[in-house]
Amino acid sequence: MAACTVRFDNVVCLVRMLRNVQHLNKRFLSTSLCRFTLDSDDSKPTKFTPPQKPVIIDKTQSEASLRKFLSPEFIPPRQRTNPLKFAIERKDMIQRRKVLNIPEFYVGSILAVTMADPYASGKTNRFVGICIQRGGRGLGATFVLRNIIDGQGVEICYELYSPRVQHLEVLKLEKRLDDNLMYLRDALPEYSTVDPDMKPVPYSVTGEVPVNTVKVRMRPKPWSKRWERPKYMVQGIRFELHLTPEQMEHAQKWAQPWREYDMLKEYDTTALEEAILAEVNTDMSK
Amino acid sequence: MRKSIGEEYNQQIAAKLYPLKDEPWPRNEWTKGSRRVGLVALKLGMAPIWTKSGERHVATMLQVQDCHVLKYLSKEEYDGRSAALLVGGKNASSFYKTDDQMEMYRLAGIPPKQKVSTFKVSDNAIIKPGTPLYAAHFRPGQYVDITAKTIGKGFQGVMKRYGFKGQPATHGQTKTHRRPGASGPGGDPAKVFKGKKMPGMMGNVFDTAHGLKVWRVNTRYNVIYVHGSVPGHKNCLLKVTDSVLPTRLENNTNPPFPTFFCEDEQLPEDLYDEDLFIHTQASLTL
Repeated sequence: MAACTVRFDNVVCLVRMLRNVQHLNKRFLSTSLCRFTLDSDDSKPTKFTPPQKPVIIDKTQSEASLRKFLSPEFIPPRQRTNPLKFAIERKDMIQRRKVLNIPEFYVGSILAVTMADPYASGKTNRFVGICIQRGGRGLGATFVLRNIIDGQGVEICYELYSPRVQHLEVLKLEKRLDDNLMYLRDALPEYSTVDPDMKPVPYSVTGEVPVNTVKVRMRPKPWSKRWERPKYMVQGIRFELHLTPEQMEHAQKWAQPWREYDMLKEYDTTALEEAILAEVNTDMSK
Repeated sequence: MRKSIGEEYNQQIAAKLYPLKDEPWPRNEWTKGSRRVGLVALKLGMAPIWTKSGERHVATMLQVQDCHVLKYLSKEEYDGRSAALLVGGKNASSFYKTDDQMEMYRLAGIPPKQKVSTFKVSDNAIIKPGTPLYAAHFRPGQYVDITAKTIGKGFQGVMKRYGFKGQPATHGQTKTHRRPGASGPGGDPAKVFKGKKMPGMMGNVFDTAHGLKVWRVNTRYNVIYVHGSVPGHKNCLLKVTDSVLPTRLENNTNPPFPTFFCEDEQLPEDLYDEDLFIHTQASLTL
């Protein structure tokens, strides 16, 4: 199996190199052709015309997503704050997004963050990990990356709009069964281990985001939270390996089935989202 | 009806009624020891800001909404020691205003206000009633004091109200966990001294936060970004003045005096402190 993957990697590398060579060739051809045509038109060159600048397209950079996607921090929380406050914050967020490319990502995606760090060698610090939580609204939005480094679990909470973030890259775009993967702290380490030198996995820019339906095995109890309780609504744990049916049934004692019918707790953001998405799109294209 | 009243008020302000049509009052230069008028502002909420050294601070956003000078009180009329200006903020309905109050608004030629504050001013800093005040009255880099009514906490015990330590949870305590303990020596004074900290109503009193830095001023929406937290709940009206702290006085030299007049000076939309990171700048390399 391992040999297979190695060979596959080699093939991929070869293809990439070939592609690069082709690009180079094209570029050379195009510039030389330009020069040639110019010379042939005027028999005596009167004025020096500089050759056209080659247009370099960076194919390694993943394309911007074409999906209709609004980052969750744009949606204002439900409270009695003046909407102007969120509008002003949104303007700053859009300004920042024009400078720093903040790609689309979800909880469960694998990200690489390059952060300015005066104490690191080279003054930057790159961390690769799986996004286990997104938090905050507006300019204070955060996300938590988790990885296992030298057998030790490491989690870093990054601010999305911090000016110290220099580069944000999605290495693998996918969703998981849950919107919060904090239970990976209590899961076996293999589920949160990510190779720090991981190459970006190409993803389609249209259509649905792939959902990774993996269900994790946990370490023996006690866990940091009682994940089986209905409050957390965890789908991604193989509870049958760790808990008896009686225990699972017992956890339902804390269920609050009336909650879903509580109309005061309803917060329908679809109309709001549409309006904000339109605003963000127009402002970003300005 | 609410909408029509708002339009009516806007027309009234745009008309620049009686006092402003007369001769303007003479403007004086700023001198050391001058005391400017303050503003009545609305607390919008809090947002993070970053400095150019990559530090994160939180700032409170204050909006100056329909802030006008209402009345000038000369030294004799006020307290015999200094002149004062009445400043009102946020238009209100005239329904609950008495005839005397309405007379004052009519004389100033402006709609009735929700909050009226008195500011002591030096004699060279007086402004004609009816003059609008803007957020650009304060400039980034200067320091302000903010007075507002704190959030009411109701009747509270000494642990929450004064931070007493309370008693242990266990080790043989009987009905004694959050109690104040002894209230004074017995025998000799044989009394409880006045001012003894005891349970009682907490909050809902006027409080001043001193020496808060102004980080940014948005002149379009009249929003001031002030360092840290300020007393009061969201959407409360507060009183903002130049800081009285002697160590901050050199930061407050040469402000717009006696206030910022929008017809005199064209300002950019945002004024930033020189240490503040602006979101249109490139990411920081520390």
